[in-house]
Amino acid sequence: MISFGLIVQAIFAGTTNGLTYALVGIGIAAIFKGTRVINVMQGEFSVTGAMVTVVALNQLQLPYWLAICGGIFSGALIGGLIEILFVRYMMRRGANQQSFILLTIGIAVTMSASVLFFVGRSGYLLPAFGGDGVFVVWDAVIRTHALWLIAITLVIAAGLRAFYHHTTLGLSMMATSIDADGAATIGINVARMRTLTFVLGGILGAIAGILMTPLISVDYTFGINLTLKGFAAAILGGLTNPLGAVVGGVTLGLVESLSTVFISSSYKDVISFGVLIVIMIVMPNGMLGRAGRQGG
Amino acid sequence: MIRRLLPVLILLAIWVALPQFLPRNITDLLVFAGIYTIAGLGVSLLLGHCGIVNLAQAVFYGIGAYSTAYLTTEMNLSSIWGFVVGAVLSMATAFIIGWPVLRLTGYFLALATLALSIIGNALFYQWDWLTQGTLGIGGIPKLHLFTYALDTPNRFYYFVWALAFAGIVMSRNLTDSRTGLMLRAMRDSSEAAVSLGIDLQWLRTRVFVLSALLGSLAGNLFAHYSSFVSVQSFTVEKSFSFLLISVLGGVRAPWGAAVGAIFITVVPEYLSRLGDIHQMLFGLALVLIVVFLPYGLAGIVDLVKSRFAKSVGADHVR
Repeated sequence: MISFGLIVQAIFAGTTNGLTYALVGIGIAAIFKGTRVINVMQGEFSVTGAMVTVVALNQLQLPYWLAICGGIFSGALIGGLIEILFVRYMMRRGANQQSFILLTIGIAVTMSASVLFFVGRSGYLLPAFGGDGVFVVWDAVIRTHALWLIAITLVIAAGLRAFYHHTTLGLSMMATSIDADGAATIGINVARMRTLTFVLGGILGAIAGILMTPLISVDYTFGINLTLKGFAAAILGGLTNPLGAVVGGVTLGLVESLSTVFISSSYKDVISFGVLIVIMIVMPNGMLGRAGRQGG
Repeated sequence: MIRRLLPVLILLAIWVALPQFLPRNITDLLVFAGIYTIAGLGVSLLLGHCGIVNLAQAVFYGIGAYSTAYLTTEMNLSSIWGFVVGAVLSMATAFIIGWPVLRLTGYFLALATLALSIIGNALFYQWDWLTQGTLGIGGIPKLHLFTYALDTPNRFYYFVWALAFAGIVMSRNLTDSRTGLMLRAMRDSSEAAVSLGIDLQWLRTRVFVLSALLGSLAGNLFAHYSSFVSVQSFTVEKSFSFLLISVLGGVRAPWGAAVGAIFITVVPEYLSRLGDIHQMLFGLALVLIVVFLPYGLAGIVDLVKSRFAKSVGADHVR
């Protein structure tokens, strides 16, 4: 018999997981918005950011806040470097979508193999924000950290929306992707905007990884699943809309956790990736319609 | 004519003589290279001629391997049934999945095949009544060619590379045929191809089905050769390897897959004492090839050839 408490618990777990997918999805959306590239290594930004934080905390004995800054900085650095070293060159050559897919897959494989090389096969956990405190709502146990995660994700999504609509930098990034020549004509430094877009993507990815690692033990294989789930969240939300990615991520998280309750936990990934394929075919513009995809 | 045939004949002689001089473990690796060439050819056809990044080849490879493993051990059938059932199942799967999925393009299609690869691996893992999950199926009998047992690496080497060469010739013929011209038209300008009455989705589905068939055949051979299959052999990493194989050698050169396959099987052997570093190297190789050599290693050959041709032409003028 499936109890009410179990369902409430599943809804909370689904929302929490869904928001981590949303954060990865927001990163994918940000990079797509700024460069029209789908970044297959977004999940690896998260894994790398989390691992750098773990190493800074455990090996270097840094205070937690400083270790987190280190993790986020590593995401920014890797994102920026990838743009400067590879993406810029390929943009100049006018490479097609297949080439960018291959490039980002190659980097994803390299990054995941590097994590394997440096920290090994074992999974790692970070301490939770707010310690091990919990709330109990209708028999369901919610960790304080989950509330932090929800709050931070919503702040980031809203902040990004404001950034793209109300700051010169955000508008310049958008302009660069919509019409690079036009943007250059009005004096926007197109190359720098693309670098900053990848830096932003790296930061968002690292934040997602750091927020996720207290809840689930992260290892080197984690990135690719995370990328796909983030991509599913981003597509559901219309691919360029940060708030849409939140709605998409939570939807995916709920589908996943409720299917764990009602069907079986062993088919969790089969179901969520099946959903991904179906939505790509049936709703390529996401739940919010074409307006969501185009809308800035 | 002689000048064009000569390099081919020399290569053929080297190919025949090679196992006699190589240590057993290297021949063993070359057998795997042959198997991977066949699977990689399928990926190359899709990428080089349809512009489709296929990350699901490990699924079809797995279907072939499990067909052979299950039918020859559990059902005690002869190995030919493994080939037949694997081919039918993989082609049917490719058709049923390909028809809806292949209407996607670019990023969406690549990520859809990636999702398929993860789904396929999860199903291989879950259906342990069929696949024995991580425990795997052992004791798969050696392959017999009529009454001749292919029970040593040397014997299997000749067999698998003969099939791989047949595959290379077939893919060459395909690209030179009418279908190949349609494929090229589709790749270079899909709108123009549609306006000439080419049914793009049907064409793409057919190539996808052919690619799946090659994947399944490679899986059959793998199961017979290693005599043990488990779910670890059909992961997403395997799909990445097949993609790397086809990109490394160059997707448009018919023999590109063979070069890529030899690279990814032989190189880790020499790097094994450095630990898990080869995966990092493969990722980096993919990145560097895509950025600097979009036509793979075959691109270098073309480059050298055109240089050479130019200097010969200059001599004539002089």
